[in-house]
Amino acid sequence: MIIKILFSGDGGQGIQLMSDLICRSAIEQGFFVSHIPNYGLEQRGGVSLAFIQISDSEIAYPKFSKPDLLVILSQQAEERTKQYQNVECRMLNVGDFKTKLEEEKVPVQSFNIFFLGLIAKMLEEKNVLKREVVFGMLEKKLSAKPGWEENKKAFDLIL
Amino acid sequence: MTREKQFLTGAEVVVQAAIDAGATMMFGYPITPGTEILSHWIKTAQTRLIGGQAKNLRYLQTEDEIAAGFAVCGSVMAGEKAFTATAGPGTTLMQDAMSMADGMRLPFVSIIVQRGGPSSGTVIYSQQEVNLAIHGGNGESLRLVYSPSNLSELYEYTRLAFNNAWKYKFPTVVLSDGFLMKTRQTVDLNFEIENIKSEPFVSENTQKNIRNIYSFEEELGEKLAQDKKDFEEMAHEVVKFESYKVESCETLIVAHGIVAGAAKMAVDELQKQGKKVGLFRPITLSPFPKDELNKIAQSVKKIFVVESSMGQLRDLVKQNLEVAVEVDGLYKPAEGIEAEEIVKSLT
Amino acid sequence: MSKEAKFCPGCGHTIVLRFLYSVLKEMGLEKKAVLGLDIGCSLLAWDFLPINTFQTHHGRVTPTMVGFKRSQPNSVSIGYTGDGGAYAIGMQGLFWAALRNDPVTVIVVNNTIYAMTGGQLAPTTMPGQKTDTSPSGNEQATVMGPELIRSLNAKAYVARTAVNDVAGLQSALRKAFEAQKAGNFSLVEVLSFCPTNWRTKGSETNEFLENMKRVFKLGEF
Repeated sequence: MIIKILFSGDGGQGIQLMSDLICRSAIEQGFFVSHIPNYGLEQRGGVSLAFIQISDSEIAYPKFSKPDLLVILSQQAEERTKQYQNVECRMLNVGDFKTKLEEEKVPVQSFNIFFLGLIAKMLEEKNVLKREVVFGMLEKKLSAKPGWEENKKAFDLIL
Repeated sequence: MTREKQFLTGAEVVVQAAIDAGATMMFGYPITPGTEILSHWIKTAQTRLIGGQAKNLRYLQTEDEIAAGFAVCGSVMAGEKAFTATAGPGTTLMQDAMSMADGMRLPFVSIIVQRGGPSSGTVIYSQQEVNLAIHGGNGESLRLVYSPSNLSELYEYTRLAFNNAWKYKFPTVVLSDGFLMKTRQTVDLNFEIENIKSEPFVSENTQKNIRNIYSFEEELGEKLAQDKKDFEEMAHEVVKFESYKVESCETLIVAHGIVAGAAKMAVDELQKQGKKVGLFRPITLSPFPKDELNKIAQSVKKIFVVESSMGQLRDLVKQNLEVAVEVDGLYKPAEGIEAEEIVKSLT
Repeated sequence: MSKEAKFCPGCGHTIVLRFLYSVLKEMGLEKKAVLGLDIGCSLLAWDFLPINTFQTHHGRVTPTMVGFKRSQPNSVSIGYTGDGGAYAIGMQGLFWAALRNDPVTVIVVNNTIYAMTGGQLAPTTMPGQKTDTSPSGNEQATVMGPELIRSLNAKAYVARTAVNDVAGLQSALRKAFEAQKAGNFSLVEVLSFCPTNWRTKGSETNEFLENMKRVFKLGEF
């Protein structure tokens, strides 16, 4: 079993935070995990990418061109990830959730947390990780920082 | 002591391996994608306790790679396990110091993190520094060069690099790349060997005169003949390779580093399709596992080289091949290669 | 002394090296001393003195000794180079060792020329001086090394002396090694003879050196 996830968004939207929490939660479940970001000049263009693989055996190669799950947090990211969009891939595009996010008054800086909650739910259903583990790590990282109530709400919004 | 699995990047693995190998000094200059080795070493050095023991880790960010390389030379001559890490244009500059290490048989350990070239190329990834790693200096180059294909191997070969550099006194390279350095994976670093002690070349107890320039051709010729002899003796003991599913294979893929990881997946897929494909992976690019390659090559119909370079591995293969076999390949200089592409080229 | 000098007759290196050794011996430091050499005429000193000596690369002796000293702090680490190795190709390394106040001693033997390679323009070639690569007379600015290095580091010991200023040479070397012991960078530039490339004979050689003193001021900086 192997799941390939590609997170994409603008630099500063918290893509790497999302990756970190998903990865570490999957590790707690006993899976092999691999993560590689884009970097250097590429990253300076503004788009932050995270390639994540979760598997029940050793992961031989860190990158992939056909993600199973593609998460897009900005317009710029959508442009950048066109080459990764494919028929078999499940896409979560912030554009598709705009109305809901506006209705619930989720601040832009919490979009990544909303998606984190959504993905955590999806992956828990596949027994890849435990949602409460993700939340626990999130709480540890962000509860002392401003905006925690909004973040907490965003995480649980999908429920 | 069995370690638990950790979630580490390549750079963190290198630093851990260097510390475990007994290295206590790093000289370096920032250059993507190798900078994190320097910054992580320096960060680790701020905390005095390493693995429960007080260890004194030292460092200097030098004014350029040239200074870093020569400081490593001075430091190892003083008997300290020092090392450096560099990439791309930095690897080019590093050759001045590495060639002095070649000429003076210094245990100069470096991590070379390949990125796109030539010139500034990309800061990302390639397998285009094979030639520089093995032959980058002027004159003859007798170096030990390891090419790890995953983080566990990165740890293991960095440990071996320090040991073998100090045991045999040839400049030793761990040849990695931007992808491996930036990948974070679950690894257990449970490779154990006994560390070789370092000794100073000169000290208060010696009176040595050491040179790297000679007045007469014969003097240099004689010295080089001895170096070559030493290298060949070392080769028997350190040469490393892996053959994967090569029994009765007709097409032999040859790949190194992380591309070999993708190649293994490709071999599995192709065999599922009923194709007789196997993989030969040189782990030491120098000394090259020539005998083993030829043994396997005897019974194959084609060799298929896969590399993120225009042909640096292919040229190594051809140099060492003594069997008449067709050599073809997939060459993608500075670009990553995934299993699917390899499968496609052989279908 | 170990072997017969391979230096040209009249070369200033033998004078500098003999005093280098005698000062070290007088200070009881000859066993702790480690002499790194550039690859210019200085390379010929590789087996000249009964102290630990090794060659490095052109312009690279300073960073090599910086590394050495950091790993053997009790040594007396000496970088021995010519004006080209110090102020052209080696300027970056020298500048930074001085800036960081690395406690190494750099001895620059200044003969205004690239001698080993046959007499080319050097950082310390004087205005109007004719060399192999400045046949119509030098128009490039002359590098004043000690003055420059002094501006980088107030704690360093910086001096310029000459091979025919024996008292000054011994004093400068002594103070340089003291500075290293005290944890500071030291630079001693020594104006030196090169009759081979100056194409001077007999007293002309000394005259050339005296003329150099009009451009390069002796003293401590």
